[in-house]
Amino acid sequence: MRAKETCYVIAFHTTADAIAFEKMAGEAGFPGRLIPLPRAISAGCGMSWKLTKKEAPEQMQELLDSFEIEYEEVYELQL
Amino acid sequence: MTKLFDAKWKLFLSGAIFGLLAMLLAIMGNPGNMAICITCFVRDMAGAMKLHSAEAVQYFRPEIVGFILGSFLISIATKEYKATAGSSPLIRFLLGMMMMIGALVFLGCPLRMLIRMSAGDLNAYVGLIGFAGGVLTGTFFLKKGFSLGRNYETSRANGYILPILLVFLLILSVTTTLFAVSESGPGSFHAPVAVALTAAIIIGAIAQKNRTCFAGSIRDLALLKDASLISVLGGLFVVMLVYNIATGNFHLSFTGQPIAHAQHLWNILGLYVVGFSAVLAGGCPFRQLILTGQGSCDSAVTFLGMLIGAAIAHNFGLASAAAKAATETDPAVAGGPSIYGKVAVILCIIVLFIIACTQKRRTAK
Repeated sequence: MRAKETCYVIAFHTTADAIAFEKMAGEAGFPGRLIPLPRAISAGCGMSWKLTKKEAPEQMQELLDSFEIEYEEVYELQL
Repeated sequence: MTKLFDAKWKLFLSGAIFGLLAMLLAIMGNPGNMAICITCFVRDMAGAMKLHSAEAVQYFRPEIVGFILGSFLISIATKEYKATAGSSPLIRFLLGMMMMIGALVFLGCPLRMLIRMSAGDLNAYVGLIGFAGGVLTGTFFLKKGFSLGRNYETSRANGYILPILLVFLLILSVTTTLFAVSESGPGSFHAPVAVALTAAIIIGAIAQKNRTCFAGSIRDLALLKDASLISVLGGLFVVMLVYNIATGNFHLSFTGQPIAHAQHLWNILGLYVVGFSAVLAGGCPFRQLILTGQGSCDSAVTFLGMLIGAAIAHNFGLASAAAKAATETDPAVAGGPSIYGKVAVILCIIVLFIIACTQKRRTAK
């Protein structure tokens, strides 16, 4: 079984926001990928953006704020 | 509690529990290949409340109450209950109506499609093509920026209303003669109320935890290459397949299947409408009930749309007729939708494309 590592999971208000984030992240070279919203975060069934703590850029918060997408919260999880 | 279903094998196992409970409901009296069917049961409820007058499909199904109640109770107990509302309610109402019309042309929701598949009903495999096609069409529009907008937290009481109202109606249905009950046809076949309600509460509670969704399963597979949700369906399918084979109920054929028809095009298009509208509404009919239980007023509105959709489908002759073999007194019936049902399905598809093309995500900042 794959060892778990510390990850950031960015949750969004809607699936459309998560998909739009994927596009912007791709253009900006922001690391990570879309995953189903982890059950530990919510009983909802949307999508979220996952990146490992290792690959997270130093100015993550500033980069996130520069995207024109309102995210719900950034969680730190073992995934 | 959230770690209960954090691996695919656990999700598969939870699906197998659904299968066992569905098997119990089948043994205890639910109709052929209809151990659980959300749209059929909502349609029966609509009939019981005399929203339509199709005499064969009238019975206040405790299962529907149980699914919502199970989700409601477990989400309160585990502090996951959250009343939310405000995400395009009337578009969701319309999506619920169309989900129901499409399902009643096919003769079953995606859950019954899977149960019919496990009994060898080839029409359900044909329907699956349409359902998957509908989900993929919806997913295409999600990628293009489709959105019904975000929801907002609202007063907790909003989310209590439907579960409490349904329990009240169930009590009335058991203690009075206010509701209609079919004397023959699918509505006359049912498991005892206590068994149906208990099984459904357990299923509803588990589904709140494992997030079972037929549309979401295919969406996640297509968009994210993630097979978590579809694992649940695998467990349910395997158990029902074993049950059907063991009891001699497995017949691989297009004809002779209970409450089904072999009009392939309309089986495909009926479930296409269900898959498409389910992705746009953010969940299949079953998922809408579970979300309703955990406080989503938007899903509650979708449920009400389904209830009215059932009434419309039967009052205006949109629902398909089941195929029947010839008897000594009656000729064979091919079954399938009427001309009204066919027109309704085409109209639903047009409306779905209009909704999908016009409802776009708005930039928040």
